[in-house]
Amino acid sequence: MMTLIIGFLIGCAFGAILFLGGASSYRKILGTLLLKDMTIIKLMMTAIGVGTLGIYLLDQGGLAHMSIKPAYIWGIVAGGAIFGTGWAISGYCPGTCLVGTAEGKFDAVATLIGGLVGALIFAWAFPMLDELLLQNANFGKITIQGLLGINGLYLAVPFSFAMLFAAFFLLKDRYE
Amino acid sequence: MNDNPIISWKIAGVALGLLLTLATYLVSPLGVSTQFVVTDAIVLHKVAPAVAESNTYLAKYGVEQDWGVGYGWMLILGMIVGGGVTALMFRDKQPESDKGSMPAMWTAKFGPSEGKRYAASFFGGLLLLFGARLAGGCTSGHMISGISQLAVSSMIFGVVTFAVAILVAKLIYNNQVKIS
Repeated sequence: MMTLIIGFLIGCAFGAILFLGGASSYRKILGTLLLKDMTIIKLMMTAIGVGTLGIYLLDQGGLAHMSIKPAYIWGIVAGGAIFGTGWAISGYCPGTCLVGTAEGKFDAVATLIGGLVGALIFAWAFPMLDELLLQNANFGKITIQGLLGINGLYLAVPFSFAMLFAAFFLLKDRYE
Repeated sequence: MNDNPIISWKIAGVALGLLLTLATYLVSPLGVSTQFVVTDAIVLHKVAPAVAESNTYLAKYGVEQDWGVGYGWMLILGMIVGGGVTALMFRDKQPESDKGSMPAMWTAKFGPSEGKRYAASFFGGLLLLFGARLAGGCTSGHMISGISQLAVSSMIFGVVTFAVAILVAKLIYNNQVKIS
């Protein structure tokens, strides 16, 4: 029960951050994808920079409940390509279409319904796709530091600073 | 004219990174796309239980006793509530160009037809979730949470997704669009 309440509260904060930060804005998402308005990519890289450091500091004390997704190469490449296409067409991702729906945007509602249908189609195609794309070239739940055989923090610190440095100093908006 | 989001990307980014850290400490990292399957499983169990049970993928997410409403599903419910409440509270601070269902960029390119925009959004959403389930995560689970855990799978997803999305966005707008 406690876990459910924590999930709800974390979700509330997540939704609020996405709305206030402009992540449910078509203009801002397409601006980033057209490499003109870098707001969203800078937001994401900052979150990743802070998150990497936070998670691997927790991990030093054995306090991080990590969840590494398996690296089945073909499924991830194909899925990423299909996902990227949908992202550019609708201007939402699965999380921001929830926030857009809550704002009362009908294009977000259409994306949400499309998403429920897309997930259902995947469920039906799963047995075939599983054999074709998910079982082959599956390297399991691997991490970069696992491959290198080093403590995660040694990689997390420079990676985190690289992300923050890129967000704060390298990426610039390019308006015409 | 103020076109910027209500809070800056710096504040939003740091807040999201801290929230991810908190979630990873308390329960598990952030993720959204799995819950679309859970929702499908919940609904299908209601209307056609036999069909739901016979599907190997859905059956993993919704069994009869436990309706799949766990931490992850409460999280997306929270996102709708949190996003909705903040939208109500700060509506007057939201840039005009970010309001409504018909983005100005879109209408400049494709005209004022609402049907066209909603059909494209529906199709986009369909691709989003099909792709996310195939890859095992979306922007939250793979890109934000996964890359922060230095997962190889998530790094590949991030690179492929951005490369293809940038390409498709450029194809859609032929590089001619002006963002103001």
